[in-house]
Amino acid sequence: MSPSQAPTALIADDEPLLRERLRSHLLRLWPELQIVGEARNGREAVEMFDLHAPHVVFLDVHMPGVNGIDAARSIARRAEVVFVTAYEQYAVQAFEQGALDYLVKPFEEERLDDTVQRLKQRLAATSGSAAAAPDAGSAGLESGPAAALDSLLADLSSELRRRTAAGAEPSGFLQWIKASVGNHVRLIPVDQVAYLRSDEKYTLVVWEGGEALIRKTIRELADELDPQRFAQVHRSVIVNLHQVLQVIRGLNETAEVQLKGRKELLPVSRSFVHVFRQM
Amino acid sequence: MLSHFPIPVSSPIGMRSFLAELTLARVATALGLAVALSLVLNPIFITPYPVVLGRLLLVASVLLLAFTAARAWQIPGVPRWLAQVLAVALAAPLATLLAYVPTVGGDLAQLFQHEGRMLGVVSITATVLLVAPLLVLGSLYRERDAQVRSQALAFELERSTLERQALDAQLKLLQAQIEPHFLFNTLANVQQLVESGSVRAAPVLSSLIAYLRAAMPKLHAERPTLGNELAMVRAYLELMQMRMPDRLQFRIDTAGVPPDLVFPALGLLTLVENAVRHGIDPSETGGSIEVSARCDAASGEVRITVADSGVGMRETAPGGTGLTNLRTRLAATFGSGARLELHETQPSGVSAEIVFVPLPVQRA
Repeated sequence: MSPSQAPTALIADDEPLLRERLRSHLLRLWPELQIVGEARNGREAVEMFDLHAPHVVFLDVHMPGVNGIDAARSIARRAEVVFVTAYEQYAVQAFEQGALDYLVKPFEEERLDDTVQRLKQRLAATSGSAAAAPDAGSAGLESGPAAALDSLLADLSSELRRRTAAGAEPSGFLQWIKASVGNHVRLIPVDQVAYLRSDEKYTLVVWEGGEALIRKTIRELADELDPQRFAQVHRSVIVNLHQVLQVIRGLNETAEVQLKGRKELLPVSRSFVHVFRQM
Repeated sequence: MLSHFPIPVSSPIGMRSFLAELTLARVATALGLAVALSLVLNPIFITPYPVVLGRLLLVASVLLLAFTAARAWQIPGVPRWLAQVLAVALAAPLATLLAYVPTVGGDLAQLFQHEGRMLGVVSITATVLLVAPLLVLGSLYRERDAQVRSQALAFELERSTLERQALDAQLKLLQAQIEPHFLFNTLANVQQLVESGSVRAAPVLSSLIAYLRAAMPKLHAERPTLGNELAMVRAYLELMQMRMPDRLQFRIDTAGVPPDLVFPALGLLTLVENAVRHGIDPSETGGSIEVSARCDAASGEVRITVADSGVGMRETAPGGTGLTNLRTRLAATFGSGARLELHETQPSGVSAEIVFVPLPVQRA
């Protein structure tokens, strides 16, 4: 930052009242600071950053689409980043480890003032160099700490994705079966599914509330379902192990399995009988 | 001394319990008393002291055995304290006679003719009859006292265990219902409304209070009703709309259903929170949530729908467990006929539907 140039900042938060609050407190504590943009999500934050190249970016951690951590990774070390978070203990710990600046919502003005003082010092320290974007030119020469920071943010990003309900279950296993019933697409939680059986081109899914045909093959389902709960017992059959009532031995080391509350017997082929041996 | 007697919970019977009752403390007490009595009685006997001591030790042992046996082999219909006192009282003269048998060389007739020996028998029997029942009653009293104290301890332990369990459940409910993340973010919004002197501060605070009051665990609550549940859902949606005014619209239309229907607490909130968390919040543009309830006059079924126009459910999205819990609670309230079904909606989003036959409304 050259001494003549006023410091600039970008605020990113999906909640408008919280953007407003941060802006009004910053105006009072740091009147010279120019707020060049307010972003509603991580994607907008990165776009506005590329447009305005502000010195400081306040990033809410939890935002729709691209979250604050991922936005920070895109911005890399081209600005001073302050994370804003509400009770994300794991994130706060990570920020402390990585010596990153952060605010916990709802923050007090004194706490924001500390942050402002730190930012002023850091901007003053880089103002000697002519480069407006402090680290852009020397990024290739950055040594250990910067790389450590990158990996910290990468870890935090995957942790955040793991914790956000909108993301996938950490295991990545199928939690819902989508099946067409009439003109609806039913969402069937996998715990309710009794068994799946291939039926020519389709697979029949049978659950507590009915049955339906789905397009996924038994082979795909065997890969996607949690093996702790579901087991393939035949070329064409997958059963919910939590719903097994009894296994009846048959000829030639084959067997048949009956599920709780159901009359039908499902075939267990020779190569899958071992599934029930260990039970 | 006798206070550490085992407390018979379901009084064990037979030889094993007889041996268990014959504690070292009891044997020592009986023999110690025999020695003491022999010292007291010695001056009035012309018999050498070791003989007196021997007789009393024998009497004490027999009485102890009678006392213990009456404990171990309980007679149905006879109170145990009475059986024990009687056993000791009957055993006292017999034991004394037995103690004299060696002296008279087995000839009891000779004993009855000898006035001095007869006097000995009578005086020992009298002393023993005087002392022993008192001793038995004392022992029983102490035992009962110990039992009462241990019962009081057991009650205290049970009470504190129950209290802890209730507290655990309460804390779990609290954690499950009010996420700190939700609470602090909401408070941060309220803080801005208050600091900027917004006229919206007061109604938003009212919503927060309504939500918190409904979400607080109530251990002695009246039966939860659909009306309460809808009020809570409305408060929650108002708070979320304050937080994301550009991303969330909602509509609640439940005019056709009486609000005093019994409905599992937090059941509807689970669905609405899911709609926000999985449908609206992940979307940059957001969407709408519609809560509607209808009553089918023909079947008597109530149908409550929570539909969102959000991003829809990924096949790997968690959340099935919360719905499984809700399904269980619906079945517990309305029977196995109650259904909870989820569909995808067009062009995007999820619709969750609860169908149940309501319980008859109880009016006070």
